[in-house]
Amino acid sequence: MDSRKCEELYKAIIEGYAEDAEALARQLLDQGMPPLQIIDECMVPAIQEVGRLYEIGDYFLPELMMGAEAMQAALKIIQPALRGEGARREVLGTVVIGTVAGDLHDIGKSIVATMLSANGFDVYDLGVDVSASQFLDKVREVHATILGMSALLPTTMPYMQRVIESAKEAGLRDQLIIMVGGAPVTQAFAEKIGADGYADDAAGAVKVAKNLVAQKAGQQKA
Amino acid sequence: MPRRGLRCQRLKFLDDSDLNALYFAVIETLSEMGVKMDYRPALELFADHHGATVDWDNHVVKISEGLLRKALQTAPSFFTLYGKTEDYDVKVDLERVYTMSGSCAPYVLDLDGNHRLAVREDLRLITRLLDHMPNLDIMHQIVIPSDVDEVGYELVNFATCYSNTWRNFYSQAQTAESVRDQVRMAAVFQGSTEEVKRKPTFTEVVCMISPLKHEPQNSEVIMESARWNIPLYIEVDALCGATTPAPIAGTLVEQAANVLAGVVLAQLVNPGTPCIFAIASGIIDMRTGVYSGGAPETTLLHAATAQLAHHFGLPFQGGTGIDAKLPDAQAGYERALQVLTNMLSGTNFIHLAYGMMEQMLLASYEQCLIDEEIIGACFRIARGFEVNDFTLSVDLLRKEGGPLGKHFLTKRETREFYRQDRWIPTLTNRDPWDKWEAAGAKSMRQYANELARKILAQAEQEPLPVTPEQAAEIEAICQEGVRKAKEIIRRREESRK
Repeated sequence: MDSRKCEELYKAIIEGYAEDAEALARQLLDQGMPPLQIIDECMVPAIQEVGRLYEIGDYFLPELMMGAEAMQAALKIIQPALRGEGARREVLGTVVIGTVAGDLHDIGKSIVATMLSANGFDVYDLGVDVSASQFLDKVREVHATILGMSALLPTTMPYMQRVIESAKEAGLRDQLIIMVGGAPVTQAFAEKIGADGYADDAAGAVKVAKNLVAQKAGQQKA
Repeated sequence: MPRRGLRCQRLKFLDDSDLNALYFAVIETLSEMGVKMDYRPALELFADHHGATVDWDNHVVKISEGLLRKALQTAPSFFTLYGKTEDYDVKVDLERVYTMSGSCAPYVLDLDGNHRLAVREDLRLITRLLDHMPNLDIMHQIVIPSDVDEVGYELVNFATCYSNTWRNFYSQAQTAESVRDQVRMAAVFQGSTEEVKRKPTFTEVVCMISPLKHEPQNSEVIMESARWNIPLYIEVDALCGATTPAPIAGTLVEQAANVLAGVVLAQLVNPGTPCIFAIASGIIDMRTGVYSGGAPETTLLHAATAQLAHHFGLPFQGGTGIDAKLPDAQAGYERALQVLTNMLSGTNFIHLAYGMMEQMLLASYEQCLIDEEIIGACFRIARGFEVNDFTLSVDLLRKEGGPLGKHFLTKRETREFYRQDRWIPTLTNRDPWDKWEAAGAKSMRQYANELARKILAQAEQEPLPVTPEQAAEIEAICQEGVRKAKEIIRRREESRK
């Protein structure tokens, strides 16, 4: 096995070259490196390093997102091989995410979706203008652990509460971690409508999601 | 006498060659890529016109240079925005600079220093407060009340603001029906819907999404407003570096193509509909991804867009909310740079010039007063000064003895001149330390707070532009409109199931 290739994949993710990351992941598979090992040794340390560089203020949003997209590109190649082996990558949780009905603002939500996906979550992005029933149908279908909602308009914020009410009526509320975000949304608003988590940016959302998943696991054990 | 804004364009960031390059890039974008419009009646209208190509699979319309030029020929570069009396009429052209309030903040910073969700009473009070600002020309709703249902909220905003301002009201609508309801509300004051059509006392804004997208309600509202001859602010809210390319030049291209597609639509429906090239764009902060209205690059973008809009023969609305959370040093510098740069660049409507903070999320009562002060000072700089024999003052200097003279403070020339020349501050403190301390050592924010309370107390004693009977009738149309809007939403949700 060519350990230089693993190092190159690690670098491609840190530098945010999606096409290179994809090609290198394919080459590593061709050389016979087990898919799980590629993820654990070449890719996860890379995305962690991207996160660290962002934390210390060296990386900004474009580098952070490009790193995440390179990670996603490589994962897309590795995942079929993983399934072929009958192995499973350990995912932190399954996320259904979207911008609520009446709101067509896409970018903030998409940044959060990309970041969650690159950091170990399985993410289903339903896009914009998503109704309560569309959210909940998907939650049932994929057995989601997290429901993420975004709103940019002050007038569409209240719809988040309607989705939470619908989740209660459908008997799905207790199994779900519900996270909300978007420019006009605040921690106080999140608490008021009964959401479990809120963050004011994408890196924060990843942290909150990880913490809430760990908490929930702890509760279930206890 | 109508209001006539200052003519004060002195700054140019683009030379003729830049403007030509931008023009051709916009034509290339509009004619080869086009704009997505998810509204069938708009696409059908385009399909009927020579110079437009409709891609029915993707709902994209491509607009030729010829069709654009035809539309720009009928879009006026001079028109009037009507107030409730002639004294509040605003004469718009490509040179004069006006200010406007707004827009849609969910939170307020109230006079007791509380940060909280805005309610309808805040909208009424701040509208009354702003209506007393001498430098304000156009009224726009500053908050979205949290105690009002989200469906049909714009009708409640209309009823609240329209009844509480003498100024032309900058409104918004989600549907054609909402535009018609607003025409009916204005007709209560104006006498008839025909009179509203002849001299509309309100305008509509539509906000497009970048890159190059018009949502169904945008096209629906453009078409209905044009039918009623209601002037339109055709606004794009680009996030430079996120929803548009990171360079300012690239964002200028996208903004213009996006806005001009809306202008063409309005002109196809009703040639001659006044259209204002409008933006509320900003760069994103590359650290966090937040919209930054107060960034220097955002101000640069707005200043350059003024030039480009004028190049297409359209009046321009620029300026946007700042990033500060409190009426503090950051708020002062962000607002002053933004307002002054826009004035000097000939931005015809300086948008969100009063009280808007925290990336358009927060409205501050106190900052409204501080901004009136900043705007006054900026207008004074923008007005410049005259050089002629009188102002050169050589004869006066000689008369007073040249090097043997004393001072000019008590000269008749000084007394006559300073009254029309000097800007007299209201909140700005120019006292030395001891005197300032003896008077309570107050910050500008405290002065603003005291003045806001005084104006509001006085405002409650004054007659409103509409009678109580008219206000009640407007409110009734508003409530009926909200009921209809909820019905439409209910039916739409049922059809989804």
